[in-house]
Amino acid sequence: MNTNLSMNNIVDWTTTSDLVGNVKVDEVGVLDRVSSLATRSIKRESKLDALEKIISMCDLTTLEGEDTEGKIIQMSSKAMSPDPNDDNVPSAAAVCVYPALVSTAKKIVKDSNVKVASVSSYFPSGQAPIESKISDTQFAIDEGADEIDIVINRKAFFEGDYKKVYEEIKALKDVCGEIHLKTILEIGELKTYENIKKASVIALCAGSDFIKTSTGKISNGSSRESCLIMARTVREFESYGYGMRGIKVAGGIRDAKDAIRYLVIINEELGGSWLSPDYFRFGASSLLDDVLKQIKKLKTNAYQSSYYFPRG
Amino acid sequence: MTEVKKTYKHYVDGKFIRSESGKVYAIDLKKEKYEIPLTSKKDLRDAVTSSKAGFAKWNSLTMYNKSQILYRLSEMIEGNKESYIALLQQHGLTKNDSKNDVEDAVNTIIWYAGIVDKWEQLTGNLNPVAGEYFNISHQEPIGVTFSLSSDDISLNSLVKSFLPPMSVGCSVISFSNQNAVLALKLSEDINNSDFPSGSLNILTGNFENIVEDVGAHVEIRLAAIYSNISNDLLETLDVKGSDSVKRIVNLPSDEGLGSIIPFVETKTVWHPKGQ
Repeated sequence: MNTNLSMNNIVDWTTTSDLVGNVKVDEVGVLDRVSSLATRSIKRESKLDALEKIISMCDLTTLEGEDTEGKIIQMSSKAMSPDPNDDNVPSAAAVCVYPALVSTAKKIVKDSNVKVASVSSYFPSGQAPIESKISDTQFAIDEGADEIDIVINRKAFFEGDYKKVYEEIKALKDVCGEIHLKTILEIGELKTYENIKKASVIALCAGSDFIKTSTGKISNGSSRESCLIMARTVREFESYGYGMRGIKVAGGIRDAKDAIRYLVIINEELGGSWLSPDYFRFGASSLLDDVLKQIKKLKTNAYQSSYYFPRG
Repeated sequence: MTEVKKTYKHYVDGKFIRSESGKVYAIDLKKEKYEIPLTSKKDLRDAVTSSKAGFAKWNSLTMYNKSQILYRLSEMIEGNKESYIALLQQHGLTKNDSKNDVEDAVNTIIWYAGIVDKWEQLTGNLNPVAGEYFNISHQEPIGVTFSLSSDDISLNSLVKSFLPPMSVGCSVISFSNQNAVLALKLSEDINNSDFPSGSLNILTGNFENIVEDVGAHVEIRLAAIYSNISNDLLETLDVKGSDSVKRIVNLPSDEGLGSIIPFVETKTVWHPKGQ
């Protein structure tokens, strides 16, 4: 165990500041590595395993103003049994909802292994004082959330106040305690690879259990390049003796082919031990349908339509 | 002056593309020999993906707008009339027959452009029922349609293989074999008519190569066969199509209101009276 770690696996600010100061990313190298990994061919048997794994790593998500209890009940049921006609299809990892709907989701999934994740900290903008973010998070936990997805303070990040970004995450991790904390970097707003890496370092040092690409609320959601940078940061973090942390990719991942490419990146950069819902997640709404279609296609040899899978 | 020869390509998702397989087949005309893209299974799947999105776009347009777009197709053909006549003559038709065929095709398009906002008034109904209810039959387009065009060398036959489903709001993958050059030439005017991308895709090749996939693909809701195909092919299509719960229409009518009926689904709505 590294001596710079305090309670909740938090790395102290002096060390964090040093790490952030030393961030460098080889942009050309990243692009090249990602495009070469995208060409790996996956054989039929491995593909079925990969597809089932994707479902078990899926945080089925709805984060809309129009979400109702009915919609959450429907989605939670789907998360527990994505394809009622095929028992071999695993359940999703979690459902991801707004704090006000956590208790509704929890009621449905309580007897299953599906967890309830809640966004908080004034998702998606994070433009609120820390006291409000804490009470938002506390509310979600009180309602029964098993996991909390927060956003970093991009205002502070772009003003150069990295310490504030760090302190806020740390304060929210204190509120969460044992509850898994996923920190959203919103890579589409961070723009450069070095910014993504800096934000990853800050989020990991401040005690996040997962770092997550995007809120899904802006057009530049996840990208495989950002996933690679985050994976490398997680790897370095582990090599310093700070422990294994997870990655969640979200925002714009709509088809199985793309999702498999993310799995390849994780496998190649971090290794097979990260290929589990404990360390890798997909945040998605429409991805699940495509994966279900592809699984059925592999089993029946006929291309499928989403007409025949449950809505949710 | 250098003579520039055209490379005919598939028309999928509003783009002119070669077959992903790179395969071609030859069509010999009087003066020219063309190498035409040979549809692979993957080409078909890509066209289905595009048609699925195209259906949502095409069907969401107002009937008025759909009608205008179809009418514009006739305008485009009218403007390029001479080149169609020349191409038909290349296929061996006489000048007079070619001219008549193009004029018939334009008339056909105008008829279907006109029916777009009227067909449901003719096919829908307020049904008589023994109870305090209104019982209304309402029609909707079935969705992604695969259409195998007739092998007649005729622009009019060709347009009749996709206008009936288009006029009710379906998206269409139109597949041609012998009349492939004509179909791919037409795709250029389709492209200029403001159809939403993916709503009408043109593929060419050998139907035998893809018949199983057409039958099995669940996303294709209907297969319309305007060409005389062998019983073996039809049986394969039927067997695969029954697994995917697909509607299969062999040699549908290509005239009048009867030509569009296969492409609609009827929903019956009950509504209480006097409340």
